[in-house]
Amino acid sequence: MTEAAEMMHVEVTRFDPDQDEVPKVQEYDIPIQSDWKVLDAINYIKDEVDSSLSHRWSCRMAVCGSCGMMVNGEPKLTCKTSLADYSGSIKIEPLANFPIVRDLVVDIDGFMDKFRQVKPWILRAKERAEDMEALNEKGTFSQSPAELGAFKQFSMCINCLLCYSACPVVANEPEFIGPAAIALGHRYNLDSRDEGARERNETFRGEGTVFSCSFANECSQVCPKNVDPAAAVNQAKLGAVIDWAKGLVLPREGA
Amino acid sequence: MKHLLLILEPVIWLLFGAGLALGTMLLTGFVLVVGLAIPMGIVPPEALNYERAYGLASSFIGRVILLALIALPLWKGAHHVRSLALDFGGAERDGAVGSLLYLAAAGVSVLGIIAVVGL
Amino acid sequence: MAGTAHPEAMAPPQKGPTRTAPPQMPGTWWGAPRIRTYLLFGATGIVYFIAGTVFLHLVWQLGKGPEAWETALSSLSHPAYIAFNALTLVSVIFVGVRAFGGMMPKMQPRTGPIPVLPAGTVKALIYGVWSLMTLVICLILAGVLF
Repeated sequence: MTEAAEMMHVEVTRFDPDQDEVPKVQEYDIPIQSDWKVLDAINYIKDEVDSSLSHRWSCRMAVCGSCGMMVNGEPKLTCKTSLADYSGSIKIEPLANFPIVRDLVVDIDGFMDKFRQVKPWILRAKERAEDMEALNEKGTFSQSPAELGAFKQFSMCINCLLCYSACPVVANEPEFIGPAAIALGHRYNLDSRDEGARERNETFRGEGTVFSCSFANECSQVCPKNVDPAAAVNQAKLGAVIDWAKGLVLPREGA
Repeated sequence: MKHLLLILEPVIWLLFGAGLALGTMLLTGFVLVVGLAIPMGIVPPEALNYERAYGLASSFIGRVILLALIALPLWKGAHHVRSLALDFGGAERDGAVGSLLYLAAAGVSVLGIIAVVGL
Repeated sequence: MAGTAHPEAMAPPQKGPTRTAPPQMPGTWWGAPRIRTYLLFGATGIVYFIAGTVFLHLVWQLGKGPEAWETALSSLSHPAYIAFNALTLVSVIFVGVRAFGGMMPKMQPRTGPIPVLPAGTVKALIYGVWSLMTLVICLILAGVLF
């Protein structure tokens, strides 16, 4: 390894629930390599400077979605953000809009709870005989490329929670179930194998869901996987309204 | 209050959406001519003298367009101001603020209906 | 960070055993150009609301008779009215560009009989309708048509 030519001033949020009333800032000056990502700098601090620093990370290739943090105030996947994009000094904070457990680690239980509300799995109207036939013939429910294309973009979410950190509605309305959860619910509504759209649309018309969105579009701006949750949420609005209007004129099937 | 708003949400959102799309499209032309070109003397005010203005406005299509021009921007406005209030940290007052704004929009819309029908 | 978020933002359904620090707002909140544009977009709501009442006033005066209408129309040349209408025009164009250029093309329903068009096509269609409507309204109001 060559001698590092450059130094970087890193400000990191620290919070120890046993000692600190509120989060504080700790500063480090570390040598960096030109090809480092922000995550490499944090790992360097943890390994070489201050082993008490807590942060989450795993895959280092923008797939696991665990290393999301605020970098200079903007939610970023730290394994996908080059240090070269920042010069001299950098400020790293835990994801905004989440309770802080320790240092750069946030509590994601609230998200997991909201996530379940949209029933992010394939719902079938009822167990039907042809379901079993379809399974027996092809081994699974067949789906054309066009049918897959209808929702594929919205299924690329890695639950990194950057969208929750960017969303002004998440910050101010605790009931709001948030961009990723709605996008995932919408993804199942668009799935040709799914028959649960009506059920999810009822959820979508409940408190703190699609209509709470004020289309700031921040979620789509920060999404590292180009899922475009804002598009999903606003298509879901239209879907929920169309479903509501249908309910006014047509009697509910089986109801 | 919040519960009622929740039930009415699809209607409110449709009115908001109509205000955002159709309201914007209507306002552009009306503001350009009635709000700017005539007052600034670019278009002679005779173009909208009483006889002509009344003739245009009192036709069936004229009435419908004028009602849309009055009511739709109100709903776009009320809904946007509500979300603006929420952005400034008003989650606790959201139900009250929303109700007040939509009531105002509904009230002025009713005046709009009276004005347009009474032409 | 730019202040605290709602204390219950993204709170877990049950409090865990560890004490947590309250959620913070993103540091970019007020200063970021994107957020400022978004807040301005919301603020156009105020302008729209007033614009609706201004047109209500005009229609109301038109219903009252020729004198009331002429007075109302000539009162629009007051600099305050002209300034407000100029602000309305700016707001309307800003809303149109943000909503028709970015938001609405994204909102096409993905299910149902209508095929999904490319965002660019939808954008061109909406802008076309907007321009055409504005042109026709302007020509009618200025006395060129009808």
